[in-house]
Amino acid sequence: MGNCCSDEAGGRAAVGGTAASQDNPISGPNDAVSHFLNSRGYQGLYSQIELSYSASDLRDRDLLSKSDPMVVVYTKGRDGTLEELGRTEVVLNSLNPTWITKHTISYQFEIVQTLVFRVYDVDTQFHNVEVKMLRLDEQQFLGEASAVLSEIVTKSNHSLTLDLVHREESSRSTRPRNCGKLTVHAEECISSKTTTEMILRCSDLEYKDLFSRSDPFLVISKVVEAGIPIPVYKTEVIKNDLKPTWKTVYLNIQQVGSKESPLVIECFNFNSSGKHDLIGKVQKSLADLEKLHSGGQGENLFLPSLVGQNYHNKVLKSQLFVDKYSQNIQHTFLDYLAGGCALNFMVAIDFTASNGNPRLPDSLHYIDPSGRPNSYQRAIIEVGEVLQFYDSDKSFPAWGFGARPIDGPVSHCFNLNGSSHHCEVEGIQGIMMAYTSALLNVSLAGPTLFGPVIGNAALISSQSLANGGRKYFVLLIITDGVVTDLQETKDALVKASDLPLSILIVGVGGADFKEMEILDADKGERLESSTGRVASRDIVQFVPFRDVQGGEISVVQALLAELPTQFLTYMRTRDIQPISC
Amino acid sequence: MFSMASSTLEITVISGEDIRNNRKPVKKNAFAVIRTDSQPLCRTEMDKDGGSYPYWNEKHNVEIPQHARFITVEVQCKTSAGDKTLGMARIPVSDFVGGFVPQSYLHFLSYRLRNSNGERNGIINVSVKAKVPEYAASSCSSTATTIGVPFGKTSCYGGVVPGVPVGVPIMKQYYQG
Repeated sequence: MGNCCSDEAGGRAAVGGTAASQDNPISGPNDAVSHFLNSRGYQGLYSQIELSYSASDLRDRDLLSKSDPMVVVYTKGRDGTLEELGRTEVVLNSLNPTWITKHTISYQFEIVQTLVFRVYDVDTQFHNVEVKMLRLDEQQFLGEASAVLSEIVTKSNHSLTLDLVHREESSRSTRPRNCGKLTVHAEECISSKTTTEMILRCSDLEYKDLFSRSDPFLVISKVVEAGIPIPVYKTEVIKNDLKPTWKTVYLNIQQVGSKESPLVIECFNFNSSGKHDLIGKVQKSLADLEKLHSGGQGENLFLPSLVGQNYHNKVLKSQLFVDKYSQNIQHTFLDYLAGGCALNFMVAIDFTASNGNPRLPDSLHYIDPSGRPNSYQRAIIEVGEVLQFYDSDKSFPAWGFGARPIDGPVSHCFNLNGSSHHCEVEGIQGIMMAYTSALLNVSLAGPTLFGPVIGNAALISSQSLANGGRKYFVLLIITDGVVTDLQETKDALVKASDLPLSILIVGVGGADFKEMEILDADKGERLESSTGRVASRDIVQFVPFRDVQGGEISVVQALLAELPTQFLTYMRTRDIQPISC
Repeated sequence: MFSMASSTLEITVISGEDIRNNRKPVKKNAFAVIRTDSQPLCRTEMDKDGGSYPYWNEKHNVEIPQHARFITVEVQCKTSAGDKTLGMARIPVSDFVGGFVPQSYLHFLSYRLRNSNGERNGIINVSVKAKVPEYAASSCSSTATTIGVPFGKTSCYGGVVPGVPVGVPIMKQYYQG
């Protein structure tokens, strides 16, 4: 199995598990997305596949120690463009790593889903940095492999081993350089909502070495059919303790298979060299652990040791105790929707002059008489068509900003329907009609301010709370330009981060949207207001329209990707449960 | 109108992020102190191994005077020379009182900490919930709650007033008392 214990050099953090709902919560068929895809002619299967990775014989790039590898996974579109699916954690000092981080991808029968895997050696100076913030051009590229998802899934053991290739180097030499192999394992996710919460403790751990301390941590692995253990959880490292109690472990039953699935729990002594010594292990299923808890007894660890020619399991004095064991139902996104929560869709459209005169064909607001939708219309349709399924009354607040309504001053938040007392329109058609008529009734102006629109959306969402509603609001802002009031926008977003609101910003046209990416916390730091308050949640998702094209899977994934997580984080941190019928 | 001299808050001091001691990472034993300008309110236990990213998740019920406009959070650490303040943030009471959200709403708030030189030094994460006393919930005149200052700026931007249904829901709450 090699070194499967990944660490951030300073952090020694826990990896795996479900904990604070960081997982992709879309497990199981998603009706709305299926419908959207079906309406596009995709009649296929829609199931979730979970990818896990291991590698062997990686190249050794560092002089004094081994490589610290990480995998970056991409999906390859029809036009060859790569889109990052995710990154694993960094495994310290190993040429044969097994990574714990897994990625979920939706499987579609009728589409060739090409995946590209790139392995990097992460430089020591970056070991404290979150993997998603790492700049790949600063790391050492070790090799690349590519596969089609259906190839992996149709193999009998659901694993495919690929040769890693370093293209530049192999073109220089006559023989291709061996860069090692990457094994990708794909498993279908069976949706499970039960999460177990456990507190594990060990007693009487043995000194591995008289002269150094024991810094123990646990690795929990599931055993799949072929007898290979796959790690699913690693606890934090506790310093210098022979009677350690680790922080609560949260494991979703789905991650281990079932409550009766055999698990291996190994206790290691952490070594900063990456070579952790095995102190002892036990083989128990979750059901066994539950029994240990209720009985209050401990289970002795054993250590396989070589006695002559055979491995003999030496039973140790050390014991594993389960101080707490409880099962909770962790509701999925769709559970909440079925249980009385609703998503409310709101849209705000940029009417600033930079869009160009709507009567001229090169304007982003040009309404083509042939019926071909412009960028704004396409963005509204692509996002609205999916979100509308979640909005029960199909009554959407719709605004425009940055324009002068007939005989009035510039407004940074006017009702698209032209009404002075209500802002809602009915259905996507309603948005389209209000949009085209607004174009005739306003004169484009500027500047591009988001503050008022966001403030208004926040107002609506907080008032809905006052009425006891269980609604979550999604504001779609479509803009052609870079925001002028960046600090005011940040202030509004920071205030809104405490409310049931998520904001999707789509950038249309050819502007350089680099500054806008600051608003998306994935690509930058947490937003800070002018008064020193910081956003408590990441509620913004920004994507340039170039990525939002009809027919590509990325339409749905890119924009909706974070939505369920944002929604669930909001619900779970406030302990809001779906109402069961 | 009740003249309540103080209101009760349930404050959970959750965690701190990237807090440093003289630009160096904190090794251990960071704790948080919450106070108003005039009096201390509560303090957390020391996080023995959290370092620069301490985690406390401690819930405390505190009373703050009615007129208080800020509560202050200080992250300190125990050094050989005593308790040293690493960073401080002032939380305006208006961030969790007033606006349209229900009074008992659980607010998750985060703030930038600054050290004694005024330099940025990490972030503090807390959650705050105003405890509604039973008698106040049944009275019609709860001060500084739902009918207070509208969230953030006024809802009237530029020309046209956006169609936000201000009328009925608020009135209903008022009469429900």
